[in-house]
Amino acid sequence: MQGVLQQVFSGLASGGIFASLALALVLIYNAMGLVNFAQGEMAMFATFIAVTLMDRGLNYWIAFPVTLVIAFAGGVAIQRIVIRPVERAPVLTLVIVTLGLTALINGLAGFIWGYLPRAFPSPFPSRTISVLGAYVSYQDLGVIAVCGVVLLVIYLLLQRTTVGLTMRAAAHNPEASRLMGVRVSWMLALGWGLASAVGAVSGIMVAPILFLEPNMMQTVIIYAFAAAVLGGIESPVGAVVGGLIVGVTVNLAGAYVPYVGGDLELAVALAIIVAVLVLKPNGLFGRPSVRRV
Amino acid sequence: MALLELEEVRAGYGPTSVLHGISLSVQEGQVVSLLGANGAGKTTTLRTITGGVRWSGNIRFAGRSLNRMHTEDVVRCGIAHVPEGRGILTDLSVDENLKLGSYLRHDGQAVRKDYERVFEYFPVLRERRRLSASTLSGGEQQMLAIARALLMKPKLMLLDEPSLGLAPMVVRAIFEIIRTINQADGVAVLLVEQNARIALEMSSQAYVLEVGRLAVKGSSAELKGNESVRRSYLGY
Ligand SMILES: Nc1ncnc2c1ncn2[C@@H]1O[C@H](COP(=O)(O)OP(=O)(O)OP(=O)(O)O)[C@@H](O)[C@H]1O
Ligand SMILES: [Mg+2]
Repeated sequence: MQGVLQQVFSGLASGGIFASLALALVLIYNAMGLVNFAQGEMAMFATFIAVTLMDRGLNYWIAFPVTLVIAFAGGVAIQRIVIRPVERAPVLTLVIVTLGLTALINGLAGFIWGYLPRAFPSPFPSRTISVLGAYVSYQDLGVIAVCGVVLLVIYLLLQRTTVGLTMRAAAHNPEASRLMGVRVSWMLALGWGLASAVGAVSGIMVAPILFLEPNMMQTVIIYAFAAAVLGGIESPVGAVVGGLIVGVTVNLAGAYVPYVGGDLELAVALAIIVAVLVLKPNGLFGRPSVRRV
Repeated sequence: MALLELEEVRAGYGPTSVLHGISLSVQEGQVVSLLGANGAGKTTTLRTITGGVRWSGNIRFAGRSLNRMHTEDVVRCGIAHVPEGRGILTDLSVDENLKLGSYLRHDGQAVRKDYERVFEYFPVLRERRRLSASTLSGGEQQMLAIARALLMKPKLMLLDEPSLGLAPMVVRAIFEIIRTINQADGVAVLLVEQNARIALEMSSQAYVLEVGRLAVKGSSAELKGNESVRRSYLGY
């Protein structure tokens, strides 16, 4: 029983990481009906920026928020420079642009920082603590706490502030929002900035576990897709719940289902995606809707 | 000087031109009707004013030229546009919809008073504040749209068929309040309607559009009294 509980905590920690990246996907999907395939690479790039800042002697807890600010600015810049010119193009064009962006950011990171995996510091001690009789690592608890705080902040920003209100309005009905004076195009840019910053959290949290290299996020993004699809790609709350479910499921499957562990864990995520698409195409929190894909 | 003035305005969608040179004006505090059959270009005229379609010609509002202005900025000049279909954000609550009307204002005290007044006009909105706007009936949504427009504290309201799809009693109630808003707050109104009879009751001046051109203009009383105009353009 303690073993299961331990796996659940680990799962929640991975789940928090998936949830952050999934939320990033949902923010952009909501704003423009686009799945941003470059989200993982943007997170990876931000993580390299974090490690560069720390190399320069910045304390972890200073480098972390500074990186988020830079990631935010980077997200806004990508929207303004790369996405805006093709904003009205068919979705397929946009998808191809984000795929191009994926390759570009990946190559750029390789060019600047090289392809050798490097260690990334964790601010949490590697000791364990007994929670309800299970041995849980401070690492897992720390990741859960950080992701929890970040997700809460995003929630409050979207639900309780005026700028959050105008962002939601712009995403739901750009025409009507413009008539209220909402600067829709800038709301899109803000959405990209926020998504970029939340995604960066997932990169920074996962880097101590996976080691940092340009392809670090390529599996994480699959889990994030699974989480977003499971939650309903339009629902921020769904992304978070989906992330946690995927994290816990994958961890439990890895520990207790024979042969799943290691590489086959990714297959569990893919199985979740396929199952959801077949059984409940709108996800757990999505509403049935007809909308461009 | 007129509050709103259109001069030889042409507009269209892509290659299709819809408005072929429209000139009209609305004085401060005035109610003006814009009438015409389906597809005449009434909605397009309103969308042109708030920058929703590409247009050429001249539009002036409160002494400023609206040429090349984005919708967001036109609205900031003091024009509240209740569009065809009402433009309610059904994913948001009633309260959040109202908040979108007032969020640009900085006169907090006056905003609070305006909320009170809006809830006096439409008590049902107070009751439903926390509910999703999608739960409102058609009439209630129209009330919400007008309430939200009023909270923008506009000098001019553009109303696109506020009576559409509503029961006659609801229509009467809504028009009563539009009249109050006009008289108590001095808000000018450019009113697009299919229901010419009720529109001419409200307005002092009226224009009739026919496939993108002005066919008739005059005082509302004149139009009401002119049987041939009534029969050929207004359908009653
Ligand atoms: N988005 C659009 N793209 C292309 N053509 C359009 C568009 N919207 C309207 N039109 C055309 O412009 C013309 C005028 O339409 P508009 O909606 O302005 O008429 P209206 O007077 O408001 O009609 P109704 O009383 O039916 O609302 C019509 O011929 C219509 O087909
Ligand atoms: Mg119309």
